[in-house]
Amino acid sequence: MKKRVISLLMAVSVMTGLTLSGCGNTSSAASDPSTIVIWHDKEDAVAEVLQEQLNTLNPDVQVVLEKKSDLTESLKMVGNDPNSAPDMYIFAHDKIGVYAEMGILSPITDIIPQEELDVYMDETIDAATYKGEIYQLPIYYETLLFMYNRLYMKDDEVPTTTEELYQYMQENTAGGHYGFVEQHSTPYYAAGWINGFGGQILDSDGNANLDSTEVIDALNYHKKFVELMPGETEYATVNTLFSSGMAHATIAGPWMIPTVKENGMDVGVAAMPTIDETGTPIAPYMGVQGVQVLRNAAEKKHDSVEKVLRVLMDPEVEVKLAAASGCAPANESCYDLDEIKNDEVVMMMKQTADHAVPMSNRPEMDVMWTVLGNLLTDVNMSDKDVTESVKSAQAQAESLIESMR
Amino acid sequence: MKESKRQQILRCYAWAAPSLLLILMIVIFPILYTGYISLTNMNVYHWTNYTFIGLKNYADALLVFDNGFLKALGMTVVWTIVSMVLQLVVAFVLASLLNIKGLKLKNLYKTLLIFPWAMPGYVSILLWKTGMFNSQFGLLNQWMAKIGHGPVRWLNGDMSAFWCCTLVNLWLALPFMITIIDGALQSIDRSFYESAVLDGANWLERTFYITVPMIKPIIGPSVVITVFTTFKQFDVVYLLTQQVGAKTGADIHTIMTYAYENAFITNNYGYSSAVSIIIFVMLILFSVVINMKPKEVRD
Repeated sequence: MKKRVISLLMAVSVMTGLTLSGCGNTSSAASDPSTIVIWHDKEDAVAEVLQEQLNTLNPDVQVVLEKKSDLTESLKMVGNDPNSAPDMYIFAHDKIGVYAEMGILSPITDIIPQEELDVYMDETIDAATYKGEIYQLPIYYETLLFMYNRLYMKDDEVPTTTEELYQYMQENTAGGHYGFVEQHSTPYYAAGWINGFGGQILDSDGNANLDSTEVIDALNYHKKFVELMPGETEYATVNTLFSSGMAHATIAGPWMIPTVKENGMDVGVAAMPTIDETGTPIAPYMGVQGVQVLRNAAEKKHDSVEKVLRVLMDPEVEVKLAAASGCAPANESCYDLDEIKNDEVVMMMKQTADHAVPMSNRPEMDVMWTVLGNLLTDVNMSDKDVTESVKSAQAQAESLIESMR
Repeated sequence: MKESKRQQILRCYAWAAPSLLLILMIVIFPILYTGYISLTNMNVYHWTNYTFIGLKNYADALLVFDNGFLKALGMTVVWTIVSMVLQLVVAFVLASLLNIKGLKLKNLYKTLLIFPWAMPGYVSILLWKTGMFNSQFGLLNQWMAKIGHGPVRWLNGDMSAFWCCTLVNLWLALPFMITIIDGALQSIDRSFYESAVLDGANWLERTFYITVPMIKPIIGPSVVITVFTTFKQFDVVYLLTQQVGAKTGADIHTIMTYAYENAFITNNYGYSSAVSIIIFVMLILFSVVINMKPKEVRD
């Protein structure tokens, strides 16, 4: 009898579990028009500033910022499900094409009139535009920066051209110390060299463009620099070398500056060296961080969404973000303020942004990261022939893009 | 009143129904759903308005199974055989050592040997990558520097990367195999060994004529499970050598990493599902072959 009771209890608990798991995703926030859930993947300093500003909407609108480490994949899974999806998300602009094609995004101009977006830098609005529609309200942008450790590289030693950089590397690379390091075979970093040569990884129609003379020239030229860098290309090795003082200079994101300053480094930032071959500076990718609105929220919570967007449009938010985490404001008017003008890192990003290239926001870019990564590895780390490798990468990219469609 | 046979069967199924339902939901349904998606054109451009396109994805998926795939398949078979042989031999030796009569601190050794199990695989793999194999900071290169050798890029060449992956896989898999073999060894009646010693059998003879035949049926299912996890291994090879932004230059692929790079990154779910189903069928066939008993046993 006892066994029967236990079995019955177990069966009931399994059934209850199954039933409840079906209800697990139902969120009361989803149906409450005054609650807005925003997913993000930002560092705590950024999230705290945003939450503090958005709390000013209480009690009319409650905004919940939820950090998601796998935001992009989660959105693909639940983007169409109003019970599980967020109302908005804050992320870089490069995934806009994927979600716009999936039909889960609402154009920002459905909520904020387009003329009100004129206050933003043109590059940021271009980055937010996919097939003629603006899907992102820009907040700030990031570009890579040339950074140097003043203990080893004096301000007057900072190379202004790539040949000066190469000479500095030759003179200062020995015995586990490096004159300059970068994530040489990582697409996001190496793209600066390709862009500087006028090359394009993906054209505006979503076609792979790796087998161009510009890309081949860039890879050939870049290779001599790679030979004076460590074998590894990943974030941890490169940044540890710089932050531990074993590398004099690097090209890295602004997010690295607080860490190296905490370590006591007197870090300087400078303009990107000009490539002697082309006369244009290394032109890194620009990533615009902003808020996107999901279609369901735009339809069902229009007023609350608009209030949230208007808080985020306040230039004060961008000024606070710049102070908290070195974020470069997307709102042009911020650059007239003294707080921003006096911020060396932000102003250097603004200068770099003049020739930086916004990452493509087309869905095809998803496969280009892998293909370009393989190409860079083949050329820089496996010493394969550049022209042959480029041809093979182009063929792989075309095949994968074909598969996408 | 006595229950009829039919009623008994029905009652058994009724009691098992919740568990069967659970298995249906978390095992069978995803497979069937993947099969369904593989027959549609579901991708970024047809996310909600996808349509039935028959076997087109399978025809396209076969293009993935090109020379590169065959190379990856060969590598996967070699990887599985080498990993299994090493796991069985090393785990057997260590488990035998743990069973030496009068061994002190036995429980401490067991805890230490189980340790890799306690760490998430992802963390272990990245620790090996940066802590051991890194050319700038890795322990192996610090030892190389001590003997006057320059830094070695362990994960750069195909062969050295293969052995590094095998080593890390061994580290991750040993706790399971040691636990199983240790349990199997303890289940053997000591009197067999005593009789063998009286008959003059040496250690090698005792091992081959008593230990191995006695533990074979116990460790058999574990070996089959491990063969599968090794065959469809993704994490070790991908994280050590192929991770986007941290590639090492080695061109080694298992069928899973190859399929990932050539199908799954496309966001074409119909096409990726077809590739998954084909790999699934391959694994099922592999399972049938592995479980096939020799003719004399069947007779």
